[in-house]
Amino acid sequence: MVEPREFRKRIQEIVSQDYKVEFLGKNFDQIVSILTDTKAGKIYSWVNEVVSKKIQPIFIGSEKQYKNWAVSELFTFRHQFSIGNTEYRTLLVKVKNSIYIEFHLGNHKYYDKIRKELDLKKSSY
Amino acid sequence: MIIYNPHDRRIIKERACEAGRLLDQIPARYCFVTGSFLHKEEYRDIDIFVISRSGKEFRVDNKKARITIIDFNDLYSLFCHSIMKSCIAKDMLPMRPLKVTMSDYWRVINEAVPAVLNQKQKYHKSVRFLVLYTEYFNSGEVLDTFQLDAKILEFRDYKDVLRYIKENVPATIGKRTKKSYIKRFFYTQAGYYRDVKEYPAQGFLRALAHSITQGVANG
Repeated sequence: MVEPREFRKRIQEIVSQDYKVEFLGKNFDQIVSILTDTKAGKIYSWVNEVVSKKIQPIFIGSEKQYKNWAVSELFTFRHQFSIGNTEYRTLLVKVKNSIYIEFHLGNHKYYDKIRKELDLKKSSY
Repeated sequence: MIIYNPHDRRIIKERACEAGRLLDQIPARYCFVTGSFLHKEEYRDIDIFVISRSGKEFRVDNKKARITIIDFNDLYSLFCHSIMKSCIAKDMLPMRPLKVTMSDYWRVINEAVPAVLNQKQKYHKSVRFLVLYTEYFNSGEVLDTFQLDAKILEFRDYKDVLRYIKENVPATIGKRTKKSYIKRFFYTQAGYYRDVKEYPAQGFLRALAHSITQGVANG
């Protein structure tokens, strides 16, 4: 069982920046607490690979505003895993050539909502 | 129980019965089972979809079943048209006209290319929308889940997928879209990738955007 505070701390350490990454998601702590150590370990290695630029981002050429940034200023990195029959996604959002701003964790419904906000998705596909 | 089977494909009888039994446990009028469970012995996961606005969670007594809720607004999507094309439903399913845009298609491509490069061995799930959209824009046909699986299995590896994109996307977009729109949209898109040189996925997409505009320029 993974402790949510420790999980956040580990990710913040891997990202290694002064700016505090915002951890977001519906039932974030609840999902983290049902992660096995192996699954959490895979998420840490994925974040490590993102930081080492080994993971390809999703990048959308759109001027739509997302919080303080235009969508075209953001990279979104996605990781998918399942627990039982439920699929979950983590998204790490980075400002181009700059800081990581958000780490999202949620089920498909939450992922779909964030995808729309980040303009990665327009209609229901 | 209603069976949607436009291509008259073999449905395993016991699986159809199990689908009907599970659908009866769901207190919603519009629900259906689709996918490989109905056709392939070796495939045991059951994809159940429920069209509902209620926000309720549904459960059935089979651990292999995965229930996905679809909103009525989703019924216009290519995804819904595809999953509802061949399925076993509790009742007649509500149909809506298809609404799909070139800009949706470009977003699908922009998600698929990085996903394929990130999962070079396990890309099959990530390319479903890519193939669905490409085949739709290419031929006008909405593939059902069975056709989609068959098409995806034709890829030998991830390089084959990238080749499929390079060979099909520019021609497909050129065929279906007004030249003036292509020029405006894809010149702008290619420009966005200029500053994103460190990632091969965006290098590939930039080249693709160029190839689409070149296709238009060369008539």
